[in-house]
Amino acid sequence: MSVEQVKEKWSNQISTLTIGATKEEGGTRTSKVVVGGESTLPYLFDEGQIPNKPVIAMEILDSEPVDWPCVLKEPFKGVLNDPVQWAKKCVDEYKAELLCLRLQGIHPDFGDASADKTADTVKSILQAVGVPLIILGCDHAEKDNQVLPKCCEVAKGESCLFGDATEDNYKTLTAACLADGHNIIGESPIDINIAKQVNILITDMGFDIKKIAMNPTIGALGYGMEYAYSIMERARLAALMGDKMLSMPFICFVGQEAWRSKEAKGAQAEHPEWGPEAQRGPVWEASTAISVLLSGADILTMRHPKAVEIVRKTIDSLMKK
Amino acid sequence: MEKQTYTVTFYHPEPVRIEANKGKDLLSAAIEAGVFIHSSCGGDGVCGRCKVIVRSGDIRTEPSGRISLEERQRGVVLACQTTVHSDVEVEVPAGSRLDLDHVSDEQLKLLRLKGMYSQAVDVAKGKSVIEEDLFTHSPLATKLYLELDPPSLTDTVSDLERLYREIRKNRDIPIMQTGLTNIKRLGRLFRESGWKVTVLLGKRNGTVEIVSVDPGDTSDRNYGIALDVGTTTVSGQLVNLNTKEILGTKATHNKQASFGSDVITRIIYASERDGLEKLHHAVIDNINAIIKALIQENKINLNDINGLTCAGNTTMAHLLLRVDPRFIRREPYVSTANFVPVVRAAEAGIKINPRGLLSCVPGVSTYVGGDITAGVLASGLHRSKKLIMLIDVGTNGEIVLGNNEWMVSCAASAGPAFEGSGVTCGMRATAGAIQRVHISGGSVKVETIADEKPIGICGSGYIDCLAEFLKAGIIGRNGKFAEDLDSYRIKETDSGKAFVLVSKEDSDADSDIIITEADIENLKRSKGAIYAASAILLKKMNLDFKDIKQFYVAGGFGTYLDIEKAITIGLLPDLDRKRFTFIGNSSLAGSREILLSYEAKKEAEEIAKKMTYIELSVESAYMDEYVSALFFPHTELQRFPSITEVKK
Repeated sequence: MSVEQVKEKWSNQISTLTIGATKEEGGTRTSKVVVGGESTLPYLFDEGQIPNKPVIAMEILDSEPVDWPCVLKEPFKGVLNDPVQWAKKCVDEYKAELLCLRLQGIHPDFGDASADKTADTVKSILQAVGVPLIILGCDHAEKDNQVLPKCCEVAKGESCLFGDATEDNYKTLTAACLADGHNIIGESPIDINIAKQVNILITDMGFDIKKIAMNPTIGALGYGMEYAYSIMERARLAALMGDKMLSMPFICFVGQEAWRSKEAKGAQAEHPEWGPEAQRGPVWEASTAISVLLSGADILTMRHPKAVEIVRKTIDSLMKK
Repeated sequence: MEKQTYTVTFYHPEPVRIEANKGKDLLSAAIEAGVFIHSSCGGDGVCGRCKVIVRSGDIRTEPSGRISLEERQRGVVLACQTTVHSDVEVEVPAGSRLDLDHVSDEQLKLLRLKGMYSQAVDVAKGKSVIEEDLFTHSPLATKLYLELDPPSLTDTVSDLERLYREIRKNRDIPIMQTGLTNIKRLGRLFRESGWKVTVLLGKRNGTVEIVSVDPGDTSDRNYGIALDVGTTTVSGQLVNLNTKEILGTKATHNKQASFGSDVITRIIYASERDGLEKLHHAVIDNINAIIKALIQENKINLNDINGLTCAGNTTMAHLLLRVDPRFIRREPYVSTANFVPVVRAAEAGIKINPRGLLSCVPGVSTYVGGDITAGVLASGLHRSKKLIMLIDVGTNGEIVLGNNEWMVSCAASAGPAFEGSGVTCGMRATAGAIQRVHISGGSVKVETIADEKPIGICGSGYIDCLAEFLKAGIIGRNGKFAEDLDSYRIKETDSGKAFVLVSKEDSDADSDIIITEADIENLKRSKGAIYAASAILLKKMNLDFKDIKQFYVAGGFGTYLDIEKAITIGLLPDLDRKRFTFIGNSSLAGSREILLSYEAKKEAEEIAKKMTYIELSVESAYMDEYVSALFFPHTELQRFPSITEVKK
C-alpha cells in the first residue's frame, strides 16, 4: 500500500535579493549574486521552489586583522595589510563569488581611518575585482554614520550590500543606500520581533523590501547555536506563512562568530586533547556554517579558505534534488 | 571627643530640623524629619529623583551620572548618596518634593469623582456602567434611633435583652453581639436618656455588632469612607451612609513611594529594621490626612465616621494592616490573608470613630488584590452575559477577562508611568496636569485639568503626546525622536534628547515641561506590558480580541482618556471604538459599593473566589508578546489596521 506524502503548502515566498550590478545595469561588476526566492523550508524541494543556492562571501578587512589567530592569517600571508591584493587573492585563488569588506580600520580604537581614505579603498577594490561587494561598518555607530555614506556614494550604481542597520541606528545608512541604489542589512539581536521592527523601520523610509537582507545574529557552534537556529526557523516559518516583513533572505556572519570561540582559535599547545588547530578551526567554522544553512541562511560571510571549500561542497550536495 | 550628632535643617521650603548621627544619609534623615523626597529606587542611587541642594555643612557624597555638571556646581547631590559630617543645611527643590498635599479640586469633584463613570471623550455616550441601586442599601455601619419601652413589673426583661428586642422589631437580625464596654454603660445610659437612644450597628463577618449606644437621636449623622490604596496613589471618598450621597473625594501620592516605587522594593524595605513600621505609618498618615481634609471641608465630626472600606492590592492591604508582607515575594508566593475579617479601624491606626469598623475588600491572590475585585464589582463584569475585559492601567496593570460564568485575571507589571511617576515631568491627574495635547503644523496646544497653568503631565497627557508625536512624525515607530527634526522644541538633556511641551515661562513648573526619549521608552514598556498581558490572557483562553464585546478601561487618568489615541499607541487593541468605555477609578467605586451594601461585600467575596489567577511570569509566550508590543503601535502592524493605514 502506498502512503501519500503529506506536503506543506506555503502562501508566501522569500524575496529575491540581487547584489552587484553589471554594465547593462549601470554598474561595473562582471558577475552578480542572486539569493532568496525560496517558497519552502530549507532543501525541502518537494514542497516548493529553491531557485537560488546559498552563497559564501569571503571576508576581507581594510586593515590588518587585530583578533585573527595565526591559523586564520596563514592563508592570506602577505596581503593582510593590503585589502586590494587580499580581494584579488580571494577571487583568483579561492574562487570567491562574493566579497565582504569589513571596515575594522575605521574604528577609533583600530586606526580611526577617515571617510575619504576608506572610500578610496572601496573604489580600489571595486576596480581590482569584478565580483559584487558587501561592505560592513565597525559597530561604532557614530563612525559608521560618517564613513558608510561616503562609501555608498563612491560605489553608486554597483548595488552593493551595506550593513548593518540596527534598531537604534538605521536612518543614516538607510538614507544613503536609498540615494545610491544599494542593498541593506537589517540587524537584530537574536530576536524575531526586533528583526521585524528593524525591517518595518527601514521600509517606512521608502526602502524597497526586496533590497533588504536580515542579519538575525547567530552564535557559533557551542555558543548558542541552537537558539539562533530556532529564531531563524521561526522567522522563516512566519515568512512562508505570509509575513512580508520577515521574508527577506538571511545573512549570517559565520566567520566572525566561529573564530571568536576558543574551540576554533585555541592553540594545540594549550589544549593538547583538542588536536591541531589548523584542522580544528576551519572545521568549527564549517560546522557553524552548515548548521545555519540548514536553518535557512542565504548568505554566509566566512573567513578560512578550507572552511569555504567544505561548505561550498556541502551547498552543492544540498542543492541536488 | 568629636561631636557625633549633628543638626540637619531641611528647607522644604520652610525649615524642618532633625538630629542625625554622623554618617547618616540625607534621604533617611529627611524621612525621619517628615520631609518627603521622591525616591523611586529606594535609596540605591539609581533613579536620581532625590536631588537636594546642600547650602552649607560638611557632607560626603557619591558621584552620580544623574547630576549634571551645572547642577554639581550649584551643590546638587543625591540625598540617598550623601552622608552628614557636620551640621548641614539642605534645600529640597520643588522637583524633588513629594507632593503630599491632599487634592482639593472642584473640577475633579465635579467631573470625575461625582460620576465615577465619566465616559471617554469621542466614544459613544453610554449609560453608567453600574445601574443605580444595584445592591440593597445595607451599609457597613447603620444607625437606628430607638424609643425603648421602660421596664415595669410586668416587663422585666433586662436592659440588653430589651435593646435586642427593640432592634429586632425594626430589623431582622437573629444574631447580635455586644462588647462588655457597651453593656457596662447601658443601665445608666437608658435611664438618663429617658430610654431614647441611637444604636450603631456594624456588620461584622456574618454577625451584627452593637458598636455603640448613644443618648438621644444622632441617627442622621452616619458617614463612611471608601478608600482605594494604590501603590502610587491613595484615594478616599466621603459618603453619607444613610443617603448614599458622595460628599467629596481626595487623592494623595502614596507616601510609601519614598521607600521605593513598586511593591517589590517596598516588600524588601519592610523586612529591614523598622521598615514595616515606617511603611505602615506612611500609608496610615495618608489615610488620616485624607479623612481629616474631607471632614473639615464637610464640617463633620470625626466620631460620626463609623465605617471604612479599603480596596488595595495584596501588598498594600498587608502594609495597611501592619502585616508582614515578606512571604509574598518568596516562593511559593503566598500572602498572609486575602480575605481579611472586619476589624476596628483604630486597630490599624486609622482615626475615625474609635469603635468604627474597617472592612478590606477581599483579594484573589498574592498579586491580584482587593482593588481588582472592587473593580470587577463596580464594572458589573461578573454579571454580564457578554464577554468583557477590564483593563486597569495602573502600576500593577491588572487585567480581568470573563462574564457571569467565568473570570480569569492576570497582572502585568506596567510600572507607574501612566500614573505620572517615574517619568521626568509626570504627575498625578490633578489640577495643572496636562491631560490633552494637540500638535498640528508645528504648533502645540495643551489642555490641563481645571484649566490651570501646566505643572506636569498625567497619564492621559502622555498617551495624547505619544499619539500626536507619532502622527506628526516627531518620533518613529521605535519611539526614538526623528534625527532630522529641526525644532526649537528639541533640546539635549542629561538623559538624551527631549521635546519641550511647555516652556518654563508658560508653566507653573520650575523648569521646562519636557518628554525625554527615556520617558518614551518607559511609557512604551508600560503600554507594551499591558497589551502583551491582555493578548496572552486571551491566547490562554483560546480567544481573540475580536471576541470581546466590551472593554472597560480603568485607571487614575483624571477626567479624560482618549480611546482613539490609546489605540494609536498600541495600549488598547484596534477594534470598534464603541466597545471601549473609560470607567475611571473603578477600584474606588467598588470600595464605595461595599461600604454601602453588605450584599456588595458578599458579591465581592464571590468574585474573589470565582476568579482564576494566571501567572504570566511562567508563560513562555509572554516575553515574546511583550517584545512584539515594544513598538508603535505594534510589531504586527496588521493587528492595528486602522492606525497603520492612516499612517500610510
